[in-house]
Amino acid sequence: MRERPAWASGVSAGLYAAGCRDAVYVPDNPLSHVLAEIGERYRDVRLALATREEEAVGIAAGLYLGGRRPAVLLQSSGLGNALNAVTSLVVPYQIPMLIVVSMRGDVGEWNAAQVPMGRAVRPILDAIGIAHATIESPADAERIVALTAATAFGTRMAAACLVPRRITSAPAP
Amino acid sequence: MTRLEATRVVVSAAREAPIVASLGHPAYDLFTAGDRPQNFYTWGSMGMASSIGLGLALAKPEARVYVVDGDGALLMNLGSLATIGLLRPPNLVLVVMDNGAYATTGGQSSPTALGADLEAAARAMRVEAATVRTEDDLRARLIGERREPLVVVAKVSESAPTARPPLDCVFIKQRFMAAIGNPEAAAHVAGRA
Repeated sequence: MRERPAWASGVSAGLYAAGCRDAVYVPDNPLSHVLAEIGERYRDVRLALATREEEAVGIAAGLYLGGRRPAVLLQSSGLGNALNAVTSLVVPYQIPMLIVVSMRGDVGEWNAAQVPMGRAVRPILDAIGIAHATIESPADAERIVALTAATAFGTRMAAACLVPRRITSAPAP
Repeated sequence: MTRLEATRVVVSAAREAPIVASLGHPAYDLFTAGDRPQNFYTWGSMGMASSIGLGLALAKPEARVYVVDGDGALLMNLGSLATIGLLRPPNLVLVVMDNGAYATTGGQSSPTALGADLEAAARAMRVEAATVRTEDDLRARLIGERREPLVVVAKVSESAPTARPPLDCVFIKQRFMAAIGNPEAAAHVAGRA
């Protein structure tokens, strides 16, 4: 088994501990570590690739209606793609899901095209009433992800866990 | 065949099975054709009905899941066909009510009115698909055992709905989840949430 960055192992463990057995994702470079970890260590988690983040949210909503506890994995830019499904389906119907956001546009960014949406992620989540927490250190990842998911499924409202670039861009041990 | 007539065929074929409806006229016609707890009416999220149905079909492989979509709505989330072709739940039946128009917003023509072909789009994404123009042909497509997901493009005329489903989104969700065997309130009371 290949060594994964500690943050990615933590995110995967937290997601699993919270009872998520479905993860719908749109590919992202840092999240590839999470996907690989889930694929190797948590074989009973169903990974589903979506073509666009809004679609991923729609699929996750259907999974919840069907009795599952879904997670959505996306990059911060994709949160913009997902907003209509979040605001007109997930929020008004009170459909809980764990949303893991791999951040771009925060400190450590090199691509100017990622900055405006990255800066807007927290204000947007606040404006639409989605609780969010930020992973502050790799050692924190499992606890924060599990807590975020517990908040989502306990309160029946989607909640987001943000993984900053200063964590995801750190070299693997 | 009007969209309401086609929707009645879907409701009849579905028996106790869940039906997810796209917002606006498709949802209004589903309510008129037969309001039942197993109907999930969307009031927003245009394009998401097929995705909700896909997630539901994955979650409940033992249930046949029907989606009543619109041509404009599916065009807004065309990638959904690729994902259905990728994940291939055999219990998903996506009925696209194709009236060639954005009827809910005033009847503006959609690309299918000028030849865009959603059956061909589904086939291109490796999803079995058919186009039907009569109630009998639609009914024939919806019954029987299935080993693959199915897209049925129903060419329909507008039926000018006069009734609307309940507006309370949480009521729709909780009624639906209880009816398909996932009572949300019970899970909460039991502390499993």
